[in-house]
Amino acid sequence: MDILSHLTPMFFTLIAAGTLIGIIFGAIPGMTATMAVAVCLPLTYAFGLVNGIALLLGLYVGGISGGMVPAVLLNIPGTPSSITTTFDGYPMAQRGEGERALKTGIVASIFGGLFSAAVLFFFAPVLADFAIKFSYVEKFLIILLALTVIASLCSNMLMGIFSGVLGVWLSLIGTYSITEGGNGEPRLMFDFMQYYLIDGFSLLPVLIGIFGLSTILLDAENGFADAPGQGRIKLKGGARFSFSIFKGQLVNLIRSSGIGTFVGMLPGVGGSAASVLAYSQEKNFSRDSSQMGKGAPQGIVASESSNNALTGGALVPLLSLGIPGDSTTAILIGAFTLQGIQVGPLFIGNNMDTWYLMIIALVAANVLMFGIMYFAIRHIAKVIEVPKYILYPLIVMMCVVGAYAINYGIMFDVWTLLIFGVFGYVAQKIGLEVVPLIIGFILGKSAEVYFVKSIESYGNLTIFFTKSPIAAFLWVLIAVSVAFAIYLRVRNRRRGASSLVE
Amino acid sequence: MTPIWSKACLALLASAAIGLTTSAQAADDCPLPGNLRVVIGSTSTGGDTYQNSSIVVDQLAKKLDINAKVDAVGVMPAFQALERSRHGNTIMIFHDGAYLGNLYGVNGYPNIFDKYIVGPTIAINPGNAYLVPKDSPYQTLDDIMAAAGNGKQIRVAIQPGGVSEIGFSALKNAVRLKYPGKEGNIVAVNTGSQADKNQLLFDGAADVINGSVQANEQYTQLPADDQKAMRFVWITARHDTIAQTEAAGMGDTSREQLLQYVTPNVKVPMGDGQDFTFDKEFFFLYNKDMDPAAVKCIDTALADIYDQGEIQKQQKRSFFIPDFKPSAQAATYLEKKSEEYRTIIDDLKS
Repeated sequence: MDILSHLTPMFFTLIAAGTLIGIIFGAIPGMTATMAVAVCLPLTYAFGLVNGIALLLGLYVGGISGGMVPAVLLNIPGTPSSITTTFDGYPMAQRGEGERALKTGIVASIFGGLFSAAVLFFFAPVLADFAIKFSYVEKFLIILLALTVIASLCSNMLMGIFSGVLGVWLSLIGTYSITEGGNGEPRLMFDFMQYYLIDGFSLLPVLIGIFGLSTILLDAENGFADAPGQGRIKLKGGARFSFSIFKGQLVNLIRSSGIGTFVGMLPGVGGSAASVLAYSQEKNFSRDSSQMGKGAPQGIVASESSNNALTGGALVPLLSLGIPGDSTTAILIGAFTLQGIQVGPLFIGNNMDTWYLMIIALVAANVLMFGIMYFAIRHIAKVIEVPKYILYPLIVMMCVVGAYAINYGIMFDVWTLLIFGVFGYVAQKIGLEVVPLIIGFILGKSAEVYFVKSIESYGNLTIFFTKSPIAAFLWVLIAVSVAFAIYLRVRNRRRGASSLVE
Repeated sequence: MTPIWSKACLALLASAAIGLTTSAQAADDCPLPGNLRVVIGSTSTGGDTYQNSSIVVDQLAKKLDINAKVDAVGVMPAFQALERSRHGNTIMIFHDGAYLGNLYGVNGYPNIFDKYIVGPTIAINPGNAYLVPKDSPYQTLDDIMAAAGNGKQIRVAIQPGGVSEIGFSALKNAVRLKYPGKEGNIVAVNTGSQADKNQLLFDGAADVINGSVQANEQYTQLPADDQKAMRFVWITARHDTIAQTEAAGMGDTSREQLLQYVTPNVKVPMGDGQDFTFDKEFFFLYNKDMDPAAVKCIDTALADIYDQGEIQKQQKRSFFIPDFKPSAQAATYLEKKSEEYRTIIDDLKS
């Protein structure tokens, strides 16, 4: 196969089309990159392998990137991995800096995407060999490290930890699935619930319910206050975007992209853990993280560079081992099998041209994503100028449709959305912290699987400390992460106390 | 319009049309809806169930001139969707795991022979295999059974409650027959995906893993000093099944090489002088109340498709063995097959 003969206008048109459709999927609450790739997978029959992969990679990059739009503008993470974008993006949008927040996210996204593409191209086989040194034990410790972000993100430590544990508990409702090596026995529910909850609550309806629907319910308390034009979020009015925002962010960009790429390489750890880890590490290790969570661009940089870096990272095990790194690449592998091509440790060597074309497609998708989003964002961002009494019903409708579609038409997912919407509303009224709760929910199930499997495989708890130097290093990171969170809390309390005295 | 765009547009239009309500009937004598949803018992679109279902459903849709779409919803949602669909709008394709789950007592798996109509079989995936690290001291499955018989614990990584476990059960049963009382030395390491099973082998936390020719063949081509290198020790398919694969086999492993790992070269005694074999077969499942005319219609359409012979080539290119049996024949055959495996499972339980 001659590479140049495949670099046709069709090839690039499909990447552009994929990226655009992906952005739209990512931007609609309830629709994800995974869903976009799944819907378009059968098209690879018609397009052939190379063009089909070009389309799917466009969808993948676009879908991950598009998730930032509702996260910033509506406080609804478009994809689970854009959850941390809401922490600073939405506060920025509320003070009229929506366009600035989105452009910051777009630049961070292209950096993360190209960083991971470069890592994939130069180091894939080596990194795949490194990734397989992460057994259940190391994966559990990575999840534990991500969970330590709860200590950094909560405003009340005790309530934050309680909320996080509650989130973990909610994630365990259902079964320890037999497809994950569990016993398949229902737990934490009454018998009549088994029909609906055998697989537990689906992540996305829970996420959209707690973030999106509860925000709408809280706003609904104000009635039609913004009907005459009052109380509406302004598109502009705050600081404008300039590339100087990235001054001093190089370390953040590289660290977060590195975390995203690396977590993407570890099958089963999940994309949300990447952005949560990157966010918490920026919070702990930056010189000044006092504004994070209140509308600091550095939070968006950490979140978006890491979640776009997942794309290249998740392709490392897919193309070097035949093992998908995340749920989207698990569908991508279908494009190869539908064409009868084996993906495994010999894939790159046996299919050099396809490999080069995939790298070109990945880079092109990132560049096109930047082109499309950067210049279209001022128009997209206008959505927040739509009066809430018009906008919110539309959002609720999209959330319901998205929840129904996420598992190919399960009505209980719509009920999940509504239940967790009300739960999120009540939780905030009674002082529960929703961010730790949702992080606990996202990571809880993986934590359980890796913890149980570690014990089953190695027999005792000491293995978590003695398994490998990597495990020891992860414990150091966990300890440092917790220590920093406590240190920052004590320092902020002292500052608060001294400013009160003054 | 170029052909590629035409195909893409057609595919898109077909996909879009599925979302619309239409009362179009395929034909007067074929009471199937114009839009047919085919759910599969797997959530993976990269796996054999999706791949095989796509091939068959694509041909079936063309034959009946209907829209049909494969949805990878997973086992429980697929069973639930099937129960709700009395009019044949939703049908299911799955493999032997559908009844093995019930035999192993997995929660939520009904007896499919009672609860649903078992439809036609369509293909076999002959690749169900067991592998060891390339530098393993066990050269053959006999070595593994002998080691267990001599008191050595053998850890086998499987996904419990289905296709992955039946070979494990057969191995354990074979040790029970050859070395009575020693079957406890064959120990299951329950895990999930193929990636998890591979990882257990890389970590040294399993001595043997369940895998497949398709997913693991490339690992068998790696040099012995590579931590990821593996070797096949057993392919559970019947000799006749592997003999029907393309001569080139899979990847760099020819059909002749694959035949080294099946019976009679690899013997797994099952009792009564028989050796255990297992072909992973795919078949349709319908709601119990589905119109018999619709069942017959699918049977007839598939019979025509298989008579034409094109689908066989497509299936073989994807390492499937064509295996069409109409509904009634398939139901009898699969029920008999399940009873054979029930014996093994019950013997081990007792």
